[in-house]
Amino acid sequence: MASDPMSVNSSAREPPAPPGSGADEPKYGGYTRFELELEFVQALGNPLYLNHLASRKLLSNPAFIAYLDYLQYWSRPPYLKYITYPGPTLKNLELLQQEKFRQDIISPDLVERLRLEGMKAGIDWHRESFPNTA
Amino acid sequence: MDKYLDSRFERLEKALATFIDSIAKYNPSEKLAEDLVAADRELAAGLKELERHQNNHARILQLRQETASLDQQTKDIIGGLWNMRKEVKSTPATQYLATGPKYQFTTHELLNYAKRISRTTLPPAHLLYNSEPSESQQAGGQGGGQPMELDSAAQTPMPGSGGGGTATAAGTPAASAAPTPAASGPSGPGPVTTTTAPFSQPPPPPSANQTALPEDFKPHINLLTGYQFHPWPTEDKVRMGGMAAYQSLVSRAVDPKGYDPEEEERRKKEEEEARKEAEERAIREREEEERRMREERERMARERERARREEAERSGSISGPAAGAPAAAASSAGGGGRSQFTFLDGMDDDDDDDED
Repeated sequence: MASDPMSVNSSAREPPAPPGSGADEPKYGGYTRFELELEFVQALGNPLYLNHLASRKLLSNPAFIAYLDYLQYWSRPPYLKYITYPGPTLKNLELLQQEKFRQDIISPDLVERLRLEGMKAGIDWHRESFPNTA
Repeated sequence: MDKYLDSRFERLEKALATFIDSIAKYNPSEKLAEDLVAADRELAAGLKELERHQNNHARILQLRQETASLDQQTKDIIGGLWNMRKEVKSTPATQYLATGPKYQFTTHELLNYAKRISRTTLPPAHLLYNSEPSESQQAGGQGGGQPMELDSAAQTPMPGSGGGGTATAAGTPAASAAPTPAASGPSGPGPVTTTTAPFSQPPPPPSANQTALPEDFKPHINLLTGYQFHPWPTEDKVRMGGMAAYQSLVSRAVDPKGYDPEEEERRKKEEEEARKEAEERAIREREEEERRMREERERMARERERARREEAERSGSISGPAAGAPAAAASSAGGGGRSQFTFLDGMDDDDDDDED
């Protein structure tokens, strides 16, 4: 899903132009590259999706790894502010740069732990911010 | 000061002595008495002076004391500062390594961003502030999900996750964690929970005047039962998004590059419209053609009629008009029958003409 034909040369070198830049972007199935890559990079925040990618053997594909490296432009302005799930997205994007994480995410135990801890952190984070009201 | 006073005392004593001498000699002199008075006044002034002197002295002493204490205070402060500085210098400060480049942003941008992500990063209030474990766990058990059993599930080593869910993206997220002990509901026939489960007893039978719902009904009417907060896009969202659209295009063997469904839709619509228009135009043209042909036929029919009538007039002198008309009608029916039936108007005209 959302992965171009798996050859290293097919990955785009330059990040897509952010919206509002006025450039007439070509569309892929009705979506710009910016929209598709934003959606993809945020889907990476979902541990189950990572497991899905791993089960499709994508996380060991050199082209896909290069693509993950390329996707790191989302951690910088002006792209950063378009991410609506900042915590898990950026954390998983960072983790995905590591060989060990890419291998380990195939384990359902790790996925489940990531899922539970991510959900717990998503709630506890707000509890810690407002300990008096919790 | 002593000398100053001593001289005045001496003068007074001398004046007194001379005055006493003069009295003793029975030769009192007015001048001597005045001298004595003057000496006495001077002594009094001197005593006043002494008083002032003493006051000044006391004040000087007081001021000295004050300076001493202030000096001490200053010394203490400086000493404190020195110690403080030593402590500050010796305190090991945490070194925050510059982990990445810093970016400039405005408060406006920050607030906008916070507003935008609040929907996806802030759990609903009932998850945040509802800390009654029994109710939430019960809800989790009844609803099949586990919204609030995160604490227990995170600490227990998750017995079900290994075998139950292979946890691909297609697997249901709730299935893998369902067999945790906390999820066995009140009416669950499964293993009797030996852990502290206050709701494991069957609910008391409802009395007649009880209006509250039984406990185990509550999850069914609570819309938020089984609600889970995910700080990432859920599978549904991923499946409904642009990537899925892309994938479906690929699986339909359409090259998604440059393919825009909206554009495509518009193009189709335009083609459809163009086709309709062409059809309509064709229909109109055919109608026009038919009309022309009809007029032509009518014209020809009228000419024939005229010719026939002329012929009838010519032959009218020989036979009556009643004999000629049916014959003409029969002949026209035999020759142009198809056109007569196709164009009823023409035949009407014909008949009218005949009746005339």
